[in-house]
Amino acid sequence: MDLIDLSKIPEADDRFIRFLDDVCQSFEFDHASYATFNPISGAVQGFANYRADWVSHYMQKGLHRIDPTIHFGRKAIAPVDWLRLEKSPHFNTVFANAPDFGVSDRGLTVPVRGPYGDIGLFSVTRDCSDQEWQALKKNVIGNLQTAAVHMHDNVMSSNLSMSALRLPALSAREREILQWVAVGKSQQDIGDILSISHRTVEVHLRSARTKLGALSTAQAIGRAVGLGVVKPS
Amino acid sequence: MIIVLDALNRDRFGDLEQEMFRLRARVFQDRLGWDVTVRDGLEMDAFDALDPAHVISLDESGHVVGCMRLLQTTGPHMLADVFAEILGGEPPLRSPHIWEATRFCVDTERLSGTGRARNSISYVTSEVMVGAFEYGRDAGVTDAVAVIDPVMNRVMNRSGNAPYDYIGKTVDMGKVNALAALLDCSDERIDRIRAFAGIEGDVFLSEDEALDLISTHAAPPPEKSALEIYCDEQIAAATNAKERVAALKLKAALTDKIRSHSQVGA
Repeated sequence: MDLIDLSKIPEADDRFIRFLDDVCQSFEFDHASYATFNPISGAVQGFANYRADWVSHYMQKGLHRIDPTIHFGRKAIAPVDWLRLEKSPHFNTVFANAPDFGVSDRGLTVPVRGPYGDIGLFSVTRDCSDQEWQALKKNVIGNLQTAAVHMHDNVMSSNLSMSALRLPALSAREREILQWVAVGKSQQDIGDILSISHRTVEVHLRSARTKLGALSTAQAIGRAVGLGVVKPS
Repeated sequence: MIIVLDALNRDRFGDLEQEMFRLRARVFQDRLGWDVTVRDGLEMDAFDALDPAHVISLDESGHVVGCMRLLQTTGPHMLADVFAEILGGEPPLRSPHIWEATRFCVDTERLSGTGRARNSISYVTSEVMVGAFEYGRDAGVTDAVAVIDPVMNRVMNRSGNAPYDYIGKTVDMGKVNALAALLDCSDERIDRIRAFAGIEGDVFLSEDEALDLISTHAAPPPEKSALEIYCDEQIAAATNAKERVAALKLKAALTDKIRSHSQVGA
């Protein structure tokens, strides 16, 4: 496996790094990173806002080959607190020197699975007490899931061959609900109109947002209108 | 008591995973007559190869009495594929906040069909659900879409755990049907199920606790013979490398005698 730094590819702008910075700023993390695997070569590709000296240390030593946050993270369903990995043989090898580079070994990896067997790993770190860490995790875990899938889907669709496969497949129900939102109905109203619970409306909206790569419902409506799936009000 | 098995801890729980696959064979093939593949008494499919999380309920002797399989809806999962008929050709839900629950079952042979005691179908059904919802909630998941059979649906309706909606339609799976239910991973639902079933405190076992519990029904290790105890004492009492090597050599030379004694002992 070879490590490819996507941000060094000339065509790429800095939007992914800015997104990572934004996540750190918004959710009070020190650092964030994203890694995925080339489906053909298996090469690890990624972005991170770690200090440059840590990135070059990591790459020079080829730590991605043994990094348990990558090799266990990619097989998990739920986010993996790095506490769970401390006993794995290579955790210390990777993180023993991390504090010298301003990198905490207190972290969390959110695994994302895509529809074509593609996998993305979104990791965040923070140097803080146990108590702060547990409270922070509880507060932001839902948002981290959103950020992780957003990053992954955007990285995947920045790859031309993958983006062709990724036209959003909205169900009839999702289109119908987006249309009602577009004309200004509340979730409660839509539930009443369609004779389903407002929680079901919310579930379809969550799904539609993810499929459209949108972080908010307003963004989702905008994209659905752009795709001609929903008529503007 | 619940242990969640995933790709990170599966190596420590090989026997437990096999016992779960045997339970699934008995339930989904023998009892429900679903069209599943059973090899060597184990019911496994392509989704088990995708490193799902398994929520497993253990009884007081460490046997598997209930289980459920969890997958993310952002990636490959059953409603997107083999249960596509339920959705009538519509694309499935996809969200990092929605997980799919499949292969939900309890051991009706080992458990009591009446009452709400710890060893009852009702208790274990609730315990698996509480385990799955708490595990999902802590992962930032808000809702689950669960593929279940009508009997399970009825049990859930009666145990403070009624689905808030269904998606798609009920389809014929063999002897019985399958349907997709929506369940919120909310504290309100968890509290309701806990209150109904009388589940108090932490339902999760640590990995070490689970291994201890399982070992209670595994074969006990053979007792050491007096000869082996003597050899080990000599090794422990060695004060320098030379003595230690001599003691180890003695034990190696007596291996056959130690073995035959311990077999008699066991």
